[in-house]
Amino acid sequence: MHPSVEAFALAAGLLALGAALVHRFGFPPLPVYLLTGLLVGQRLPVQDLEPLPSLGLLLLLFSVGLEFGPDRLKGLSGKAVQAGFYDALALPLGFLLGLLAGLDLRGAALLAGAIYVSSSAVIVKLIIDLRRVANPESEVVLVTLVLEDLVVILLLALLGGQGPEGVIVSLLLGGIYLFLANLFGYRLVSFLESLSDELVLLLGAAFTTGTALLFHALGVSESLGAFLAGSLAASLGLRERFERLFGPVRDLGVALFFLVVGASARDLFQGLTPTLVVLALLGLLVKLPLNFLGGARAGLSRKRRLYSAFYLVPRGEFNLVLGALAQAQGYPLVAQVAVLLVLLSVPLGALLIRFAPELGRLLLRETPSPRRPARSS
Amino acid sequence: MRVEEAILPGVGRKYTITVQSGDRIVIVVHHSGKRELQYFEAGGEGDEPAMALDLTDEEARELGAILAGVLFHPEAVGDTQSKLGQKVIEWIKVLPGSKLAGRRVGELTLPPGAHLLAVDRPGAPLIPNPSPDTLLETGDTLVVAGSREAVEALKRTL
Repeated sequence: MHPSVEAFALAAGLLALGAALVHRFGFPPLPVYLLTGLLVGQRLPVQDLEPLPSLGLLLLLFSVGLEFGPDRLKGLSGKAVQAGFYDALALPLGFLLGLLAGLDLRGAALLAGAIYVSSSAVIVKLIIDLRRVANPESEVVLVTLVLEDLVVILLLALLGGQGPEGVIVSLLLGGIYLFLANLFGYRLVSFLESLSDELVLLLGAAFTTGTALLFHALGVSESLGAFLAGSLAASLGLRERFERLFGPVRDLGVALFFLVVGASARDLFQGLTPTLVVLALLGLLVKLPLNFLGGARAGLSRKRRLYSAFYLVPRGEFNLVLGALAQAQGYPLVAQVAVLLVLLSVPLGALLIRFAPELGRLLLRETPSPRRPARSS
Repeated sequence: MRVEEAILPGVGRKYTITVQSGDRIVIVVHHSGKRELQYFEAGGEGDEPAMALDLTDEEARELGAILAGVLFHPEAVGDTQSKLGQKVIEWIKVLPGSKLAGRRVGELTLPPGAHLLAVDRPGAPLIPNPSPDTLLETGDTLVVAGSREAVEALKRTL
């Protein structure tokens, strides 16, 4: 038998075990995948798991793209969008932090992105699993996440290539895709409607990975390609079908992806410097007061503001994308900060979100000043 | 009654309904079809719901039909509405082995007063006002409306 089967069986078993353990406490599984990778990564032949983890990341970005149809971007609540602007102040602050740490403009911009973008995948899943969807703060958080993803996609388009050609290539490719979609979209959709689910799944997978490959071959970010594939599919009205078809495959791939990231993070801890830790911690802290103020702007009660600041702590998929990009462009410090942020913020954020009501009660009763609680956690 | 609608990106849509008494009900319709209901009492303490309920898509539709008075209509309500109450909408599923599968819409004999509004095919957009040459498949759901007697008669013949 192929050795990958053994690796897969082991990985899936361990992930299931971990997920089952935390499931008992109503705790989300994503951080556990990461920690599982960190703990057993050395003994697990993670490289045998490919291409599932890479596919998981591409499909994750594909489904982030699926959320961006023109229909979804319209009708976002204006107040929540304002909260998103406060949140975006993390970008200039992160940029400044990068410059202070001695990075050049590009490196500082990459660092700003890593500090700014929270993980839609982790947070949306947490909010659904914890049954907080109907709460007022969830709306603000979810809209903020959409804006973050949009900004980071722009950032990826800007920084994805080496120099200004990258932007032009990205824009050109995006334009060609949109043009083709406009031209053949309608016919394509009615053609797809006549096909079986299986065929659509295969075609969709080929389209997503093919687009990513094409983008990669032309020297721009493949994540951007997967995202574009998703948003294009969404604009053609294929969202529901693709979400249904790709959901389970994506979840499996994402679980393995987190495992692999955890496993590869072991090396990172060997070169842990104070600068790195300070940058990561500052990155974590800088968004808390911003999101607390943003929540106020969106009209949330003090308790809900605190919740929304907690909700936006986890960093995830885009950090890993930005980290990989930084590594490739010769900014190992940014890559390390990005991955360290994920490792710290996902478990910590999951805890903060899970126990937000308890923490809120504790913090808001003890300290009347609204800004302290967000920092002191 | 006031209804506010909000988009929850990545999750679905949220409807906040405030009724005459000031009580509030929040309904979240997930993309997955799940519905989440939360009930808040008027002037209730804090913003935690007094009640929460999860419904599957099917349960939500059933509940919706009951609330809309499709199955039973209270007599106390005015004239025009009770006329509406005489009409029903039914969802008829084409089960495996059903004689409907493989037939065209034009070949169906609908009793007078019963109308085929739409065919709902899993994984495909809704087919409203299906044309006579629409081919029915196993797994389709026929949306039929009309007088209660006609729809009941249709269900018996199928």
